[in-house]
Amino acid sequence: MPSRVQALIRKIDMKSVVEANGLRRTFGDLVAVDGIDLSVSEGEVFGFLGPNGAGKSTAVRMLTTLLRPTDGQAFVGGYNVVSQASEVRKVIGVALQDAAIDPLMTGHELLKLQAVLHGIPRQSARDRGEELLERVGLSAAADRRVGTYSGGMRRRLDLALSLIHEPKILFLDEPTTGLDPTSRTALWEEVRRLNTEFGTTVFLTTQYLEEADELAGRIAIIDYGKIVREGSPADLKASIGAPTLRIDIDPQNLDKAQSVLSEFGIDRPARDGRVAIGLDGGVAKVAEVVNALEKQGVEVLHLELDAPSLDDVFAEATGRRLEGAETPDE
Amino acid sequence: MSSGLSEMKHSRQVAAAICMRGMRRIKARPVLIVPTIVMPVVLVISFTGAFSSLTRIEGYGTSNIYNWMAPYGALQGAVFAGIGAVGSSADDLEQGFFDRLLLTPGSRFPLLMGTVGYSAFRALIPTTAVFFFSLALGMTVPGGIIGVLSLYIATSFLAVVFCLIGLVILYKMKTQRSLMLMQVIAFGALFISVGQVPQSFMDGWLKIAARYNPITNVLELSRQGFLGDVAWSTTWPGLVALASMSFVAGGLAWRGLKKLAP
Repeated sequence: MPSRVQALIRKIDMKSVVEANGLRRTFGDLVAVDGIDLSVSEGEVFGFLGPNGAGKSTAVRMLTTLLRPTDGQAFVGGYNVVSQASEVRKVIGVALQDAAIDPLMTGHELLKLQAVLHGIPRQSARDRGEELLERVGLSAAADRRVGTYSGGMRRRLDLALSLIHEPKILFLDEPTTGLDPTSRTALWEEVRRLNTEFGTTVFLTTQYLEEADELAGRIAIIDYGKIVREGSPADLKASIGAPTLRIDIDPQNLDKAQSVLSEFGIDRPARDGRVAIGLDGGVAKVAEVVNALEKQGVEVLHLELDAPSLDDVFAEATGRRLEGAETPDE
Repeated sequence: MSSGLSEMKHSRQVAAAICMRGMRRIKARPVLIVPTIVMPVVLVISFTGAFSSLTRIEGYGTSNIYNWMAPYGALQGAVFAGIGAVGSSADDLEQGFFDRLLLTPGSRFPLLMGTVGYSAFRALIPTTAVFFFSLALGMTVPGGIIGVLSLYIATSFLAVVFCLIGLVILYKMKTQRSLMLMQVIAFGALFISVGQVPQSFMDGWLKIAARYNPITNVLELSRQGFLGDVAWSTTWPGLVALASMSFVAGGLAWRGLKKLAP
């Protein structure tokens, strides 16, 4: 059976736990989220990818009941985020962008407080807290004030706090921003484990292509408050087709180079001092391209040929590269 | 019925946890409470030192300057205890911890009650400091234990009132800057009252303002046990003033919170 058909059958079988229809949020004249439609199935890791200010955090704040939508509807865990906000809050765990942790409290104190906030009986809270601290590797630091924790430790504690009530759906808003590679990898491992071992649905926002690629089974790309592409990373990349050829040249030869390259494939966005195309024919055509450029007196300083990436998907959809892209503040 | 009861129990636990968190923060960083203790103590020292003979004039109801000034100092400490509790909430708002509290299932009301409860407990610290400090310097308590109780009731509830007023402003402004506005309101309310001199010594607009300033009633409630016996006729106007201010400020703060976090 073709994999797409299998995926469709799986999707029909699975219950949708996050649904948004025409969800919109404005702040005065600024449209932060512009009528997005979303559907996330139970047990899925869903990646919400976009540059800073694209509307990711605003969307998450609406889905987690922290912000009321200006228009549209959203349901999380089957509950309306506006009229059944309290029910929504019972089934979700949330780790927001700036690990909202009181630096004057210890890990133990914060877990205890979080347990009370979610109405967990004292003994269960104690057991669950110890289990979570161990799982995120913070047992030894649990009696230290959070102010003395590193960025990675704070994120891990934030994750533990968001899991104290065993939520069915976990929202992670840019969970690895500002983390070193080791801490980032450790957090990815934990997210994977949560999803595979406990079946937790994960709604993850990120601006990192690698993170979305590594973790998400399905991705929605958001830009200027609108979803511009949606699908599995593999399908999105496959939709791009030809690999991307990037060539560094003397900026004075830019027009000449573009004219030569247009014969080999479609122009793709590239940073200054570089031209890029989707190279029809792939690696077999590289030598031909270099020869054609040299014939026109364009010196090739450096070249790269990459299989389509999520950055190419973003570039194809928005005309910009994700790395370094930024939209107005949310 | 049982769901309603368990919801009430949860609300009570949440409010208590938020209140306890505030007290733990003070334990973790005592400097948070230092200004709230030092300011009223300094007020008592400076005023009693500079105007030690003032109470020899007829009309104060006591010849002991500490008996006159200590309740005023304690109330000032309480006001700043209330503002300090708002400062913690402002920290939470600015640093994102408030979002964690807003993600609590159930009503938002315990979030407000927890902060208010914290302000009331916080007020006990400067009140106790001023009380024992003044006692050590020569203050007497002719009203006995009921007089002391009146002082504690007045200071705790005044802290609640100023906490609620501060929250109204904070929920509107959403920054620490709201505290500056609160200080202006606090000093204004305290100075235009019978804090320093009896009403009979005042004249013109100040006398009228002090008469209608509800803080005057609260001061009279807190001070009565240090001037003589506690009387119901002095107690009830103070309690009504505290209840009215709490009711109005509480209503506005609750509205502000619901607007901030629907």
